[in-house]
Amino acid sequence: MAKIELRNVSKRFGNTTVVENLNLTIEDGEFAVLIGASGCGKTTLLRMIAGIGPQSSGQVLMDGQDISDLPPGKRDLAMVFQNYAIYPTMSVRGNIEYGLKNKKVPAAERNRLIEEISGILGITEYLDRRPSQLSGGQRQRVALARAMVKKPKVFLMDEPLSNLDAKLRSHMRVELIELHKKLKTTFVYVTHDQVEAMSMADRIILMDKGTIQQEDCPAEIYNNPCNRFTAQFIGSPQMNILEIPGSEFSFGFRPEKIVLSETELPDKFLQTKGSIITKEMLGSETLYQLGFDGISIMAKSLTDRFDDNVYFSLNREDILIFDKDGKRVYSSDSRFDSVLEKVGGMKK
Amino acid sequence: MKSDRLREKCIPYLFVIPAMLFLVVFTLYPLIYMIYLSFTDWTLVSKTKNFVGFDNFEYIWQRADFLNALGNTFFYTFWTVLTLMIASILFAVWLHKDTRLNSFTRTAMFTPHVIALLSVSMVWSWLMNEDTGLLNMLLQSVGLPTSRWLNSSDTAMGSIVLVSWWQSVGYYTLIIFAALQGIPSEIYEAADLDSADPINRFFRITLPMISPQVFLCLITMTIGSFKVFETIKVMTAGGPGKSTQVLVYYIYITAFSMQFKIGIASAAGTVLLIIVGLLTILYFAFLSKKVFYQ
Repeated sequence: MAKIELRNVSKRFGNTTVVENLNLTIEDGEFAVLIGASGCGKTTLLRMIAGIGPQSSGQVLMDGQDISDLPPGKRDLAMVFQNYAIYPTMSVRGNIEYGLKNKKVPAAERNRLIEEISGILGITEYLDRRPSQLSGGQRQRVALARAMVKKPKVFLMDEPLSNLDAKLRSHMRVELIELHKKLKTTFVYVTHDQVEAMSMADRIILMDKGTIQQEDCPAEIYNNPCNRFTAQFIGSPQMNILEIPGSEFSFGFRPEKIVLSETELPDKFLQTKGSIITKEMLGSETLYQLGFDGISIMAKSLTDRFDDNVYFSLNREDILIFDKDGKRVYSSDSRFDSVLEKVGGMKK
Repeated sequence: MKSDRLREKCIPYLFVIPAMLFLVVFTLYPLIYMIYLSFTDWTLVSKTKNFVGFDNFEYIWQRADFLNALGNTFFYTFWTVLTLMIASILFAVWLHKDTRLNSFTRTAMFTPHVIALLSVSMVWSWLMNEDTGLLNMLLQSVGLPTSRWLNSSDTAMGSIVLVSWWQSVGYYTLIIFAALQGIPSEIYEAADLDSADPINRFFRITLPMISPQVFLCLITMTIGSFKVFETIKVMTAGGPGKSTQVLVYYIYITAFSMQFKIGIASAAGTVLLIIVGLLTILYFAFLSKKVFYQ
């Protein structure tokens, strides 16, 4: 269990700067998820913490101690790699044992630890097999076991579920959440999958181009994005954002906040009529692509009964305002009401 | 229907026939013919081939020059394989880091392999010349004692090993280097996180991961060394004395230079074949289990 702090860290590869003067604190025992599109620097951050891709400048602290120059093996953390990075030449037992052997843990203690961990992960029967004889899910468990057996203060995970099929992925997701509850250790988890981030994280750290866009709990990130990037990155389909004519502001709303109806509804803040361009029936919900005045927006609805022309409307509280730089304009802002009025005046 | 199935069965064989023919005519037939000749008393000048049983084998077994050639071959093979193997692994590990100097060095190291062995031997004969050679001049210039190189029976074989080593080390380094490139970097990163020290990492991870290529190199190096000929022919002609006479050179002079004893040369060739075959079987028996195939 440990708190991780990154202070003014930068990472340069040759002439390209991937991360510049970034500050981040990950609390003790927290399940922190770093999310962002590929190339945003999330894995770079993880590798800095691990020490396998050290920062070009800045400091990494663990529990207040500077570990910037400590080699990876001495940092008391374990990492699960995207492709697992299991030693193919060693048996499953050899893989789990390797780190312990290098740390000169006595054989009896090693065996006890291996028994314990493989019991938890259900891999006891594979201990003498070669990694090549294992399925993707089993390899994933071996990689986890190898990390867990060291009883590290921090777990680092680099897209550990991305090589699994959809069913196994959601299963492992639940297992990881349970594992975190059981171990109460700090988890730093990198993913580009927002479902993983939303479902697992205590705190989501959303990154873009080497900078942190927003860090917050999943509900806040979803409901209260602080800028356009966050608003559109999290959520599927992404948030609709429309420009407000004659102003430098824009407004956004989640697809599921749109109310669809065959007739005009009273008491709606914003309402217009449009046509359904496409319709995707996904089972429990249906996605509609709606068109009006040459604009198209996405709507999510629990019913699939709409086919042709519909009225769609929005409530006042479901509208978010962004300024010209993409920054959120909160309701406490003096500009908020006047902008919202303009939105209300757009179309009735 | 029936003819269709027949065609389907025949077509694969049609594809392999050219390769098989080539193998039979140029490898299998000469091999069997050599074994046959080793049981005859044929010389290039006689018209008849009389069957003499194991006489030829008994004869060479009693000849000091054959046993000397056999011993020299083992000496040459042992030192060539040992130094080549260690050096190519070390060089490959060293050149593994991707810098501009290293990519130049890799190319440079491979260059000797594309030069004909004959030319290599000529150049080195000159370099190793006791009086006018560059090597002795260099040694002298830094105040080190000079060597007699090819002119002394003590150093001649070592000099030949050195030349073969120089010619092949780039080639084998390249093979091992390619194998190293195939190891995912994450595995080393995982090892770093598992606090593996460099030596442990090399023996527990790197070496097992490149073992198939190392095994391949070991076998080709051994077979190649047993067949050493050009360097000996050009640089020493088996001398001084018979200190660098190896099996293939022995076969060559027995068969084609003055003696023309094809039967006896064939017997020596058969012995060479058996030794190389046995060694390969031994390698497979004792080492192939240690080789890791993914």
